[in-house]
Amino acid sequence: MFLEIKDLSVKIENKNILDKLNLNIDKGEVHAIMGPNGCGKSTLANVLAGKEDYEILNGSINFKDNDLFDLNIEERAQEGMFLAFQYPVEIPGVNITPFLHSAINSKRKRMNEEEIDNLSFAKLLKSKASDLGINIDMLKRSVNTGFSGGEKKRYEILQMSILNPDLAILDETDSGLDIDALKIVTEGVNKLKTKDNSFLIITHYQKLLDYIKPDYVHVMVNGSIVRSGGSEIAAEIEKDGFQKFQQ
Amino acid sequence: MNILDNYIKNKKNIFFSENIDIQNHREKLINIFENDSFDKKNNESLKNINLKNFIDFKYKYLIPEETSVINNNQENSYSIVSVNGQCSSFKDDKIEITKILDEDYNDFSKNDTIENIDHFVNLNSLFLNSGFKIVIKKNNHIKIKISNIITDDDLTIFQKNNYICEEGSSLNLIEEYENKNNSTSNILNVIKLEKNSQLNHFLIQDNSHNHNLIITSHSSCKKDSIYNQKVYNFSEGYVRNFHYSELIEANSEANLEGIFFLKDNNTSNNKTFIRHLAEDCKSNQVYKGILNDRSKATYFSNTHVDQVAQKTEGYQLSKGILLSDNASYFSKPELKIYADDVKCSHGSTIGPIDENAIFYLRSRGMSKIAATKILISSFINEELNSIDSEQMSELIQKKLVRYLSKVK
Repeated sequence: MFLEIKDLSVKIENKNILDKLNLNIDKGEVHAIMGPNGCGKSTLANVLAGKEDYEILNGSINFKDNDLFDLNIEERAQEGMFLAFQYPVEIPGVNITPFLHSAINSKRKRMNEEEIDNLSFAKLLKSKASDLGINIDMLKRSVNTGFSGGEKKRYEILQMSILNPDLAILDETDSGLDIDALKIVTEGVNKLKTKDNSFLIITHYQKLLDYIKPDYVHVMVNGSIVRSGGSEIAAEIEKDGFQKFQQ
Repeated sequence: MNILDNYIKNKKNIFFSENIDIQNHREKLINIFENDSFDKKNNESLKNINLKNFIDFKYKYLIPEETSVINNNQENSYSIVSVNGQCSSFKDDKIEITKILDEDYNDFSKNDTIENIDHFVNLNSLFLNSGFKIVIKKNNHIKIKISNIITDDDLTIFQKNNYICEEGSSLNLIEEYENKNNSTSNILNVIKLEKNSQLNHFLIQDNSHNHNLIITSHSSCKKDSIYNQKVYNFSEGYVRNFHYSELIEANSEANLEGIFFLKDNNTSNNKTFIRHLAEDCKSNQVYKGILNDRSKATYFSNTHVDQVAQKTEGYQLSKGILLSDNASYFSKPELKIYADDVKCSHGSTIGPIDENAIFYLRSRGMSKIAATKILISSFINEELNSIDSEQMSELIQKKLVRYLSKVK
């Protein structure tokens, strides 16, 4: 199994968020997690990425034969995990291009691959940015600084396409996107899909899943997965909401 | 030894001590010391310092054997090596440099505006033993680099420099302080900017941990003149940077920028006092500090806008990053406004490094230490990018890399 989450319980500031959550994702699969506000979707994404604010009460996470809890935040990223943030952080003064260059090389170093030089990286970045309809001038700016909501999300996908992760977690990437931006972003994601990588998509709405077809849809309520199935669940939620799953 | 005994014992070595007017003036200053309770709560010049070290000091001064060198390297460009605060005299058709002793004592004797409120200025006036005067002649545009060298351990330098930019002139002044010996420099720069002149004053401070550096500058700007000061402090010893500025005629400006990088038990005290005394004047201040370990810093700022100073623009901003729970930065920007048509603002932000930004960078594969360093660099990115000299920019970058190498 590529990612195996077993009986995961997590709390933050004395509040239990995840409760004995189980989830298995295999190579090449696309999973979607849907759930009402506050059910723990973003907590799951943050715990997977290694955010240190949470207390792990119980359970285990295995990723590519590694105990995930043995890896710190950057080691998880270097092992091929990528979180597209719901609210990408603005970092004034940190230029996008050298930041991404440094990020890709840290991953290559861990994989014992040759580092990518300036020129090759510039070419790669330019071509990926062009695919996502990102203006080259934007690459001269500071990370997420002064970007619109849509630009931030597009920039997250650009980072994802450069870093080419094995497991990409998209935390409400559709929020704040207009329909045109949603199309560009989801096309970008679809282009990255291969039989060797996996996606975990967190969303409230079916709309995103119209563009990125999931293999499995899970419903999360009160920190646990209460139902799993195919795309029909997303349609059910779109029609009836989450209420019936909460009972 | 108290101030009086110290003064009497060393009087013969102190400049202008044979002058009766100056003697009387110095006696008044001694009285201030003897009668002051040194209330640290209400006197910013006393914060974060071990006063005893500065008042009960052992006076020692050596007249330098080697004469300082003044080179006219390129057209309009000069380099000066100031040794123990002294500098040779030099004159051409563009600038005039005069040793302090060759000057009229009145130019050096009193600083009514800032004496009495600042004990270190008083000490400077009392124990004056070095200094020079530089005049940039009318309509000339000059670059000067001053390297400040101290020859021996345990020296107490009390130096007063006068800078005068005559009408229509400009001066790019770079001062480097890189002393490794155990000594104390108390330097007062008195700056006069005549009509339509400009002084760009760049100070790089990188002294070792046993060197104390106390720099006070006092600028006064006439019509259409501009004083720009940038201070980069990498020192491991105590540093005090105080600036008093008077915008005395219309459309004059004072722009002050101070960046300090502290670690271990370093202390950096910063204070500015800007008086807007005419209309259409501008002042802008940006002070940023990065503090690690048990280091401490202060920023006290007072911008006073007189009632005649309409259309004033006055801005104060201080920001600090605390890299350790034991580091502290006390900031107090104040505005006193007596005119009714002004644009003024003040702000201060001090805190640890942004954990969300660290998480974001780490989630892309960057190590925690690399993320911390990149965020420190980005914190002062705007100021670094505003340095227009490539050579200076490289020098600051080099010192920044050295500072960052110690950040764990």
